[in-house]
Amino acid sequence: MGEVILACEGLKKRYGDLWVLKGIDFEIERGQTKVIIGPSGSGKSTFLRLMGLLEPPTEGKIYFEGKDVYGSGLDLNMLRAKIGFVFQEPSLFRHLTALGNVKLGPKVVLKMKDEEAERKAMDALKTVKLEEWAHHYPAQLSGGQQQRVGIARALAMDPDIILFDEPTASLDIELTWEVIDVMKDLARRGVTMLVVTHELGFAKEVADEILFMDDGRIIESGPPEELLKNPKTPRAREFLRRLIGGV
Amino acid sequence: MKTAAPLDPISFIISFVTEYYPFIIEGFLTTVEMTFLGLAGGFVLGILSALGDVYGTKLMKVIIAGYVEFFRGSPLIVQLLFFYFSIPALTGLNWDAFTAGAVTLMLNSGAYQKGYFKGAIEAVFKDQLMAAKSLGMTFRQTLTHVVLPQALRIVIPPWTNEYVSLGLSTSALIVLGIRELTNISKSIAAQTFRPLEVYLFASAIYFLWITISMKIFDWIYEKVKIPGLEVNI
Ligand SMILES: Nc1ncnc2c1ncn2[C@@H]1O[C@H](COP(=O)(O)OP(=O)(O)OP(=O)(O)O)[C@@H](O)[C@H]1O
Ligand SMILES: [Mg+2]
Repeated sequence: MGEVILACEGLKKRYGDLWVLKGIDFEIERGQTKVIIGPSGSGKSTFLRLMGLLEPPTEGKIYFEGKDVYGSGLDLNMLRAKIGFVFQEPSLFRHLTALGNVKLGPKVVLKMKDEEAERKAMDALKTVKLEEWAHHYPAQLSGGQQQRVGIARALAMDPDIILFDEPTASLDIELTWEVIDVMKDLARRGVTMLVVTHELGFAKEVADEILFMDDGRIIESGPPEELLKNPKTPRAREFLRRLIGGV
Repeated sequence: MKTAAPLDPISFIISFVTEYYPFIIEGFLTTVEMTFLGLAGGFVLGILSALGDVYGTKLMKVIIAGYVEFFRGSPLIVQLLFFYFSIPALTGLNWDAFTAGAVTLMLNSGAYQKGYFKGAIEAVFKDQLMAAKSLGMTFRQTLTHVVLPQALRIVIPPWTNEYVSLGLSTSALIVLGIRELTNISKSIAAQTFRPLEVYLFASAIYFLWITISMKIFDWIYEKVKIPGLEVNI
């Protein structure tokens, strides 16, 4: 058993009268890749935002490396710096080049010297195969390239884990591959990843576990072969049938 | 020039400019000075109230809304008279027309600039704020490294309009007796009995000044422009 990096217990989230998360227990160990699937509106993005410490839970606890995040007076920004986040929309800083985007975190948050931050950023851009595009602005990059810059921006912080929220959902099919390939590469290198995606090929190849979310709960989980071939719950069976059938 | 000489307009303009140019320059410089004071003060007030309105508490939003409504919803001349006469009456603090005028212009311009800055700040979309947060950036770091560099670029075109509008509005300072360009022109017109030429000349100065300034702002805008950052607000 490896070290548990991120975990939660009895996690609940309410917006107004709507309970979006209804009690989630979850943990992920260093080096693992876990994939979350589930119908639209089931709370996947909300779950990820909570685990990324971007929003506080209504109830329940989140643990980072064993420490209760909201219970022990920890500096949330310090923790956020260790949890990478890649959004569905590229969300790049539009006044900065690709390099500027990737460099900003190391420089401003990790307080690296300019050259050091730049080296770090170039390394991250190489990992996502964009070193030649370093000096282009977001508006001059394709959606897939922007998304890879977003991945590089997370990587350059040397995070303990990276969360991905449907990083290819807003991309055309051809652009999806370049992003998925980079993510597979990261998973193989041992980067800890929690990924919401419906790219089942990715899940099959690199996921240690797939979690099926429905109506604010994780109602089924297991290794990819098992969950994808023989889903136990009718909801998961129905969802996968539609997903694979393309309906 | 004590009596109106029967000169043709061009010759007259040349002769009165030759005679009165120190006053014209003084008036023009006062106009420019007042414009810049108003813009600079309004810039600070505008940014602060825009930030307060976007990120602040309910109470801050209400106060800011009241401030903006007052200054955008009443004539500048009334505001000038109000501040010049009511502040001494209310506080016992005496201030000269120049200070009262400058402060009123700052408050007035701030109320307008707030609108432009708010639009520009909101154009820095929520997703970027979320991204900054996910990197562990504090509110202040996000402001200095993400929001303001974009907002300040986006705001240049509307801000240019505010410059033009405020620059021309400084002529209202005449009600406080401040010796700016309009006031000086009025004196000269009264002394020479040639309002047509004098006011035409004054208009030409305003026009040239504004046109050249706009060109400069356009140049700055092009200079700091970043591909894909053009936003209409
Ligand atoms: N900030 C918010 N305020 C109010 N309601 C919200 C908020 N964020 C999400 N919700 C609601 O929570 C529910 C779950 O949303 P969420 O985005 O987490 O689902 P999802 O599984 O990611 O869906 P999708 O596959 O469409 O991305 C939805 O009903 C949504 O409207
Ligand atoms: Mg979602």
